Amino acid sequence: MTAGEVTQPKPQGFRIQDLPGKIWSNYVLRRIVRALVIIWLITTIIFFVIRLMPGNAFDLMVADMVVNRNMTEDEAKIRASSLLRINFNRPIGEQYLEYMSNLAKGDLGYSFINNNRTVQELLAQKLPWTLFSVGTSLMISFTLGMLLGMIAAYKRGSWLDHLITNFAAAMDAIPQYIYAIVLVLLLGVIWKIMPVMDMKGVLSPGIKPGFTFEFIWDALMHLRVPAFVYVLSTVGNWALSMKSSTLSTLGEDYVTVARARGLSDSRIITSYVGRNASLPLVTALALSVGFALGGSVVIESVFNYPGIGLELSKSLSNRDYPMLQGIFLITTTSVIFTNLIADLIYGWLDPRIRIAGGE
Amino acid sequence: MMLAQQETNLPPTISIKNLSIDYKAKRGQVQAVRNISFEVDRGEAMALIGESGSGKTTIGLGVVGLLPPTAKIRQGEIIYRRAADGKIVDEIDVLKLNPQQIRQFRWKECAMVFQGALNAFNPVLRISDQFADTASAHNALRGMALKERATEILHMVRLDADRVWRSYPHELSGGMRQRVLIALSLLLEPQLIIMDEPTTALDVLTQRNIMDVLKDLRKNLNFSLIFISHDLSLAAELADKVSTVYAGKIVELGDVYTVFRNPYHPYTIGLIHAVPTLAGRKEDLTSIPGSPPDLINMPTGCKFHPRCPLADDQCKTQEPDLEEIGKGHRVACWKWQTARETLKRFKAS
Ligand SMILES: Nc1ncnc2c1ncn2[C@@H]1O[C@H](COP(=O)(O)OP(=O)(O)OP(=O)(O)O)[C@@H](O)[C@H]1O
Ligand SMILES: [Mg+2]
Repeated sequence: MTAGEVTQPKPQGFRIQDLPGKIWSNYVLRRIVRALVIIWLITTIIFFVIRLMPGNAFDLMVADMVVNRNMTEDEAKIRASSLLRINFNRPIGEQYLEYMSNLAKGDLGYSFINNNRTVQELLAQKLPWTLFSVGTSLMISFTLGMLLGMIAAYKRGSWLDHLITNFAAAMDAIPQYIYAIVLVLLLGVIWKIMPVMDMKGVLSPGIKPGFTFEFIWDALMHLRVPAFVYVLSTVGNWALSMKSSTLSTLGEDYVTVARARGLSDSRIITSYVGRNASLPLVTALALSVGFALGGSVVIESVFNYPGIGLELSKSLSNRDYPMLQGIFLITTTSVIFTNLIADLIYGWLDPRIRIAGGE
Repeated sequence: MMLAQQETNLPPTISIKNLSIDYKAKRGQVQAVRNISFEVDRGEAMALIGESGSGKTTIGLGVVGLLPPTAKIRQGEIIYRRAADGKIVDEIDVLKLNPQQIRQFRWKECAMVFQGALNAFNPVLRISDQFADTASAHNALRGMALKERATEILHMVRLDADRVWRSYPHELSGGMRQRVLIALSLLLEPQLIIMDEPTTALDVLTQRNIMDVLKDLRKNLNFSLIFISHDLSLAAELADKVSTVYAGKIVELGDVYTVFRNPYHPYTIGLIHAVPTLAGRKEDLTSIPGSPPDLINMPTGCKFHPRCPLADDQCKTQEPDLEEIGKGHRVACWKWQTARETLKRFKAS
């Protein structure tokens, strides 16, 4: 510190050059800044992949239109530019700025196959269904898995533990489409418990979306089987992770001491074992949410569920590049954001992290 | 001790009779505790001294009913007596308590401070919450009364109560955490406290500090103490009585002064010589040669005989029982009468 600064009595004064340091020393702000930087990096990479790489999306689209739609190369280029919302005649720097400002405005261009519909409009239509189906199934699967894992750990070595652990391992190994096919066959064809039509789509004909009981009920009814498939295929993994995490927590001194203190079993299970054992699963849960927002391609395709996953497989087979770019963008951003949220929740659940962030 | 006069002739706080505890292990039965009997009087401190693996912790765990499922109490009796107003108001047969009763017994009647318990607190809860948890598990203090009591006992262990109260465990040093745990053990005013090597994981200065705290507590409060340690000098500082434990069995028991001045068992004599005194010369430091026995395949006869320079045929075939050789002084050794003399001669030559 210089003498000049001492004469200015501004102990809590704000100095712009301190700002980066302040942000960095704050756990929450640091995470947010990091997430934003990663998103910026990814969007930039996407830009270069679309425009500059050999075999890039732009060239492929142009070639596709020339061959399949009998356009001249110039026509095709103009059309591709307008679909992707990048003017390819301008210098690369300007293209980049235009692309970024479009993104910032939420403008993702036009779908290649759904004429005159913007990518953001299509995504906005599909996203709620994916959020609804994945959100519900994931919560069920996570809760159930945690419970089973804790039971297995508490009853370590008993028949119940063997049952849970072996089933969990087996269920974790079976691919999703097998569950889907077997369930459709069993429920719809062999046992005839529910019509196959009821398993497909999101709504029965004639139901209007809205905040009505009828609508929500119908949506839940259509979700039953897809959610079941989702839960079956993921619950094993949750149960196994929770079991191993609980086992190591049970060996901690503080659990023994808690018992010596005469705490009730329920208090020990929830606040001493459960809370500590679930810490490592929080990050895994957030990652699952992030990836799942991209939609479960298999489940949505089998059950014709109009979410992001189904859209992804359609866009892939139609080579709808603007759409693919949009889906890729929202999946990566959602992974990054849920990761951010996981970090924040983790910091809130575990006081040790909070402090470590404030070095 | 500042004992109420009337309390001195009450029966002991805890009486352990013929206690034997085994662990089931892959190789066979581990005989961790073998036919142990001792008593701790009101306000008295008994030290259990022995090498690593001699079964000290197992005895403590047995008293508070926290033995792992692989452990089996083969025989014995643990009687705890609660006194109030100069009378015994409750006599509890600890081994006959049902799970709910033993849960209430723990910490309220007998608190156990664990060995190297630097990790004794739940990392995600504040110290205040962990005090509150303990109190509410026993329907004891809450709110302001709890805070006041906690402040009082945290002061007793020389901590800044306000700061500690709001802290998370990781914000405290190892020595502070150990003192918090000791304070917590006083919360419900148990009449018996078991301290299992409360200073082992700490550096020498912190260890000193904790010993001073413990001495203070003993002077000002009236609880019975079972102090587990492998360090005889610590025991001498704190305890009234001392038992040396070898291979799961008490081999010598007496009041601290007597045992220190006139040890009779070769193992105790070895332990005392293994303690470096400030005045003592280096060559006095003869530790005991050999290593503790395998508790699964025990030697025959006296379990100490493979390491004992005095052992003869009788020692190799017959195990001696604890024998009263003076007032309150008991020894389990065939050679106790000549042990000290003979050992001295051995060392001289
Ligand atoms: N859960 C267990 N299963 C099998 N054997 C055990 C178990 N716990 C302890 N033992 C054995 O029982 C014996 C006594 O152990 P204990 O922990 O009581 O010794 P200790 O005197 O407290 O030793 P230390 O000074 O190292 O703490 C040891 O030989 C140990 O190996
Ligand atoms: Mg021990």
